[in-house]
Amino acid sequence: MNSKRKDLFWNIFLVVFLLSVAAGIYASSKKVDYIWRWNRLPQYVVYKDIQEVRAPSDGIVSVSGKTVKITPPGSRSTPVLLENVKGISVRNGDTVFEGDVLAKNESYKLGPLLTGLLITLEISVYSIFFAIIIGVCTGLARISRNPFLKKLAIFYIELIRGTPLLVQIFIFYYFIGTIFNLGRMTAGVMALSVFTGAYIAEIVRAGIQSVHKGQMEAARSLGMSYTVAMLLVILPQAFRRTLPPMAGQFISLIKDSSLVSVISITDLTKSGREIVASTFSPFEVWFTVAALYLVLTSLLSYLVQLLEKKMSAQDK
Amino acid sequence: MIKATDVVKIYPNGVKALKGVSLEVAPQEVLVVIGPSGSGKSTILRALNLLEEVQDGEITIDGESLTHPKTNINKIREEVGMVFQSFNLFPHKTVLQNITMAPIHVKKMKKTEAIQVAEDLLKKVGLSDKRDVYPGQLSGGQQQRVAIARALAMKPKVMLFDEPTSALDPEMIGEVLDVMKELAKEGMTMVVVTHEMGFAREVADRIIFMDEGMKIEEDTPEEIYQNPKSERLKLFLSQIL
Ligand SMILES: Nc1ncnc2c1ncn2[C@@H]1O[C@H](COP(=O)(O)OP(=O)(O)OP(=O)(O)O)[C@@H](O)[C@H]1O
Ligand SMILES: [Mg+2]
Repeated sequence: MNSKRKDLFWNIFLVVFLLSVAAGIYASSKKVDYIWRWNRLPQYVVYKDIQEVRAPSDGIVSVSGKTVKITPPGSRSTPVLLENVKGISVRNGDTVFEGDVLAKNESYKLGPLLTGLLITLEISVYSIFFAIIIGVCTGLARISRNPFLKKLAIFYIELIRGTPLLVQIFIFYYFIGTIFNLGRMTAGVMALSVFTGAYIAEIVRAGIQSVHKGQMEAARSLGMSYTVAMLLVILPQAFRRTLPPMAGQFISLIKDSSLVSVISITDLTKSGREIVASTFSPFEVWFTVAALYLVLTSLLSYLVQLLEKKMSAQDK
Repeated sequence: MIKATDVVKIYPNGVKALKGVSLEVAPQEVLVVIGPSGSGKSTILRALNLLEEVQDGEITIDGESLTHPKTNINKIREEVGMVFQSFNLFPHKTVLQNITMAPIHVKKMKKTEAIQVAEDLLKKVGLSDKRDVYPGQLSGGQQQRVAIARALAMKPKVMLFDEPTSALDPEMIGEVLDVMKELAKEGMTMVVVTHEMGFAREVADRIIFMDEGMKIEEDTPEEIYQNPKSERLKLFLSQIL
């Protein structure tokens, strides 16, 4: 009872603390004369796109379904047919002049923040996919008895972990990208997967080595080859154990993907920069960008948690 | 069925675990291996299906040489079942999947056939009701019986047991030994490392006593237990009795 009351106190304290931090931020922005303009932001998330269809010539309108026919005055000129027009705002028999609005099409389009978010998501998904492939292969090579594979793996891992990601992105884009004529997207995804692959390789190696060696012996004693034993016995068990550190690595990848904005990929971060340039509202924009990254990363860790729960339900 | 001649095993750390051990097991014979801790019992057993590479000597199973460099070791391991002290069941697979995995993926047996084989074996070890549970939900004795069934599913010619009951609570030892006795009765060729004297007396055709990487004595159970010749065996028996 007492400890419950104590918890309640600390929880309330936490809320008060966070609120005062927020108030502090607000107050300090007052000090620098910052004008908050949150109302400018929504248009960068979604905006209403208005498309107008205008009359190509003078004449009398006749509408049937989605087709608009404009018959110019005088019997010699041929009527103009406009097909598949949406949102028609004229009626049969109206007289229109060239340039008049015949129809108004309203549709909602994704603003730069959301298209940036989608690009970030796309880069992350591709990079995670390739990083897993690279990481698993390298992790297996790392524990292989073949000195060539083993040393190659160590060299790759050390090389990647010993140099900054930003530099790697530049090398992939300017050097490798130029030689092989790669687009920015490809270069960016490659840099991120090669970078993350090195870390995943170490996670995979640790995961495999954490599986008791009796498992491999039991599998081999049943006549399974090394490969079959690896695939059916060792890797499935290692996979479960590597899920939490893998999730951490994927979350890092999503965040690190913001660095590809330096090679002009319009991801979430680059979109943020562009919006700041046109609105001069850096505070609102960067808070929003941060929140959007947070949405992506929390979604991922939620999914991984679900997967973990599902897998651990098996062996109780 | 099994013939090992002058087998030498030196571990990478320099420990000479086998200093020229020879043994022979005829078809349908049961050989029990005893000896103090560290004497090389596990090592010789594991050498018999090449879980340990040996540095010298020759081993043949059913006429096929294990030590010959051209031998397909996976093929021979199919014919040599092994049961470990620590069970080593696959924890991510159900009991049934543990048993059917090797027949399906190694022997390329049809799934329905493999399941039939597995169900028969589960009946034999008295665990038909456990076919769909995971190993973690079983007692030690039950796990070891599943491990025996798993090895038997490959229809091996030889079964190796490395202290199959020493990780078990006393009340579960009997159920595992009963399965092994049954197996011996059916004529399975077996090599068993165990300190269960009752089992050795009842089932073993011969016993070998090992110490410090060497075979010290080899004889019938009666002779080994009632009439030990070497001082080392006398000392060993006085310690375990
Ligand atoms: N993987 C290994 N690496 C190095 N030395 C080892 C290894 N396995 C065993 N040894 C050594 O080899 C010797 C024989 O070991 P072995 O496991 O065969 O003995 P054992 O008779 O089975 O003993 P126990 O009754 O304790 O199981 C011991 O000195 C042991 O320390
Ligand atoms: Mg041993």
